[in-house]
Amino acid sequence: MEEFRFIDLEVHTAFENMAIDEAIMLTMKDGKVGPTLRLYRWSPSAVSIGTFQGMMDEVDTDFCKAQNIDIIRRITGGGAVYHDYDGEITYSIIIPKGHQFAPDDIIESYKIICKGLVTTLDHLGIDSEFKPINDVVTRGVKISGNAQTRRNSCILQHGTILLDLDVNLMFQVLKVPIEKISDKMIADVKQRVTSIREVLGREVSIEELRQALQEGFSEALGINLIPGHLIEEEQALAKQLAKERYSTHEWNFKR
Amino acid sequence: MTLKTIDYKIPEGKMLKIKVKFEGQVIESLHILGDFFLHPESTIEEIENGITGCEVNIELISSEIQKVLDTSNAVLIGASPVDIAKAIVRAFNN
Repeated sequence: MEEFRFIDLEVHTAFENMAIDEAIMLTMKDGKVGPTLRLYRWSPSAVSIGTFQGMMDEVDTDFCKAQNIDIIRRITGGGAVYHDYDGEITYSIIIPKGHQFAPDDIIESYKIICKGLVTTLDHLGIDSEFKPINDVVTRGVKISGNAQTRRNSCILQHGTILLDLDVNLMFQVLKVPIEKISDKMIADVKQRVTSIREVLGREVSIEELRQALQEGFSEALGINLIPGHLIEEEQALAKQLAKERYSTHEWNFKR
Repeated sequence: MTLKTIDYKIPEGKMLKIKVKFEGQVIESLHILGDFFLHPESTIEEIENGITGCEVNIELISSEIQKVLDTSNAVLIGASPVDIAKAIVRAFNN
């Protein structure tokens, strides 16, 4: 069984989280670390936008500032995501180019890695499936969004699995004109996005989801998760990337 | 010359937001935004540069985008060159 370094659930700022994902890629490129699975949360809560999105187009930055919600641009494509501290867990998987989980067909590799989420949800009692391009859905409704980038001779896929969803708050964070936040729109979103607690109709703790993710990825991908930490070089790189890229206005408001 | 912005939801695909300036029938400058995927991501600037100066015509624009994708060995997911071209033409006609 292939071994993966497992960096168990940690809490970081948005800038640290995105910097750590990239630092792992850069260190893996030099052959200093192997395939890695990370679980993390965001504190303070944050909104991340896809690399091709416009910050001012997608995010109500004034609201976020007033509510102490961090804003950040990812290096991956895809859409804007609100990462609530209490409402989700994010994972990232970083593997070298040519790894069996990263065939040239990008949709196929999303499908392979997303099996980890489908199995996680199955452990929690939720039937789900991968829906191309980059979602996992239950009863046709999105419960997880994922995004991949291929660079530095590595593949990074990160994604979020929703434990809880506050549609009203999501609408305030994301730029939707207030007059458009009608009951109908909220109902529409509820038909397109759901959460574990909503589907199961019971309290599911962060710890329960954390454990399900650990077991789900290990089982679905047939990998042995070896508890580990960032090496010193990764920590230094992450610190540098957080400072010089991810926390800068230049990066976050690039588009 | 005016800046035009258009939101274009690709049927069964992603959302495109095009911010474009036209000079007569020609694209003077533009930014292609949205929740699509493009690998490698840096190709977006090459695409934007590639179609700057291009006449507003779906076939011309999409073939320029395809040329950049081929040259850069890049993959566009959730949007096609024709979708981007259609969105630009729609912005022009808007």
